[in-house]
Amino acid sequence: MTHAQVGIIGAGTMGADIALVCARQGHRVLLLDMNQAVLEKAQSYVGSMLAKDVNKGRITERQKEETYERIFPIADMQKLHVCDIVIEAVPERLELKKSVFSSLAEICREDTLLLTNTSSISITEIAGGIKKPERIVGFHFFNPAPVMPLIEIIRGKKSSDENIEKVYQFAKELGKTPVLVNDTPGFIVNRVARPYYNEALRIIGDQGAGIEQIDTIMKKAGGFKMGPFELQDMIGIDVNFATTESVYTNFFHEGRFKPSRIQQRMVQAGSLGRKSGEGFYEYSE
Amino acid sequence: MSTANKTVLLAGTSSLYPELKQLLESDSYRVVSLEQLDEYKHEVRLALEVNNLDLAKKKSTIKQMDTLLPANIPILTSSLAITTTEVASWTEYPERVCGFGTFVPLVERALFEVAPALQSAPSIIEQASSFFVSFGKEVEIVEDEVGLVFPRILSLIINEAVFAVMEGTATPEDIDIAMKKGTNYPYGPLEWGDRIGLDEVFSVIRGLHRDLAEERYRPAPLLRKLVLAGRVGVRSGRGFYSYEKQEVYQP
Repeated sequence: MTHAQVGIIGAGTMGADIALVCARQGHRVLLLDMNQAVLEKAQSYVGSMLAKDVNKGRITERQKEETYERIFPIADMQKLHVCDIVIEAVPERLELKKSVFSSLAEICREDTLLLTNTSSISITEIAGGIKKPERIVGFHFFNPAPVMPLIEIIRGKKSSDENIEKVYQFAKELGKTPVLVNDTPGFIVNRVARPYYNEALRIIGDQGAGIEQIDTIMKKAGGFKMGPFELQDMIGIDVNFATTESVYTNFFHEGRFKPSRIQQRMVQAGSLGRKSGEGFYEYSE
Repeated sequence: MSTANKTVLLAGTSSLYPELKQLLESDSYRVVSLEQLDEYKHEVRLALEVNNLDLAKKKSTIKQMDTLLPANIPILTSSLAITTTEVASWTEYPERVCGFGTFVPLVERALFEVAPALQSAPSIIEQASSFFVSFGKEVEIVEDEVGLVFPRILSLIINEAVFAVMEGTATPEDIDIAMKKGTNYPYGPLEWGDRIGLDEVFSVIRGLHRDLAEERYRPAPLLRKLVLAGRVGVRSGRGFYSYEKQEVYQP
């Protein structure tokens, strides 16, 4: 699938990053967004990232131009009919995603791979009721996509073996490390990492240890790069809470995933971490 | 310090035992066992007890230490599977009992946690801390609860990874790759469990489940079975992965 035509739906942060990853590998990218301003912002972002590549001597000015010109901003979904692969990166709302895939199923060829970059919605649910659901596969990038090597490839109930294999190869060709996951709440990372936050919150709730103390212990005793509270502040406490709630709901309220009321209070108070200037720690300008 | 006041008693079956022994001896401590206690009774300045999986054994070891050692000698117990307060309640001199927690390999641990029992005397807490500091570890004093902080949080991450394996969500290899590449964990949770010893990990989760009695601490059934089958990881040659034991040339 070298030099495939890749459609990307949604030119927000994730979409722009995925466009960059694909264009760098030589793919032609059709970047779709209904909002002209968002498209322009994505293009200038890609341009600035490629300029950095030139400054660091990774690519030549000419390679920069060629890569930049491989990304075609579009506002009309019909144009995606030429694509071999389409990656959806719209906001995490089921109805929105379903309507995107329902249109794609009509617009695209039957052998076009339809990938969703969801981090929290079931692939099986997104594919439900869509024509030829065997071509719909989860393709979960981690933020920031140009830096993080992992892609979770999520097999929906009806995704075919053949398509999973193709998607796996595509991820490798993007220079990424793919892992295969069956469609379960939180997939691998968002699920297995839950206790890092939840149990740390539980321990501070029980006054077992303090916030800074837990961060120190996890780094110095455990070798983690960041403590659970620093990490929540960086991710955004609201984002972290929403992920926990989603995993908890989708596991039908298994107690292991129960969200923390301490975290909920932080969200209610607008103490969201770095982006709001305060979370578990204070951040000055 | 003369050799006499660098004599410590070390007892227990946890995988912490050989590493603690090595660490102490390399710091010129004399390490004696329970069996040698008669001979060295008056020289022992501190006792360390490390049993995590077998709590009956833990109880008998602690009681022996409490009976045989003078009442002023500190007893430091690994409080991974049970609270220090409960361990102290087995003794005649509970004020000398103090808990600590860590996982192997100790060379990777810059910090040990110390958890005093409700009964611990302040002087014992101080002695426990300066003992660990004496061989180069930082110390954080935390509340006495099963698994303390690091072993508790890590064990629950490993437990969740085991549930995911058990349910066929992904292979152990892919789960480990995902956690290392997706969130920068130093090790994948399953290879980490194999290195620590799945028995040690299980003892923490079972202890939390026993003491706090909540669904969130339910041990993954596969973890329990691996421990019962003796497949505890690197130490036994098999856990989530296989470790071929290298044959060592003996002249």
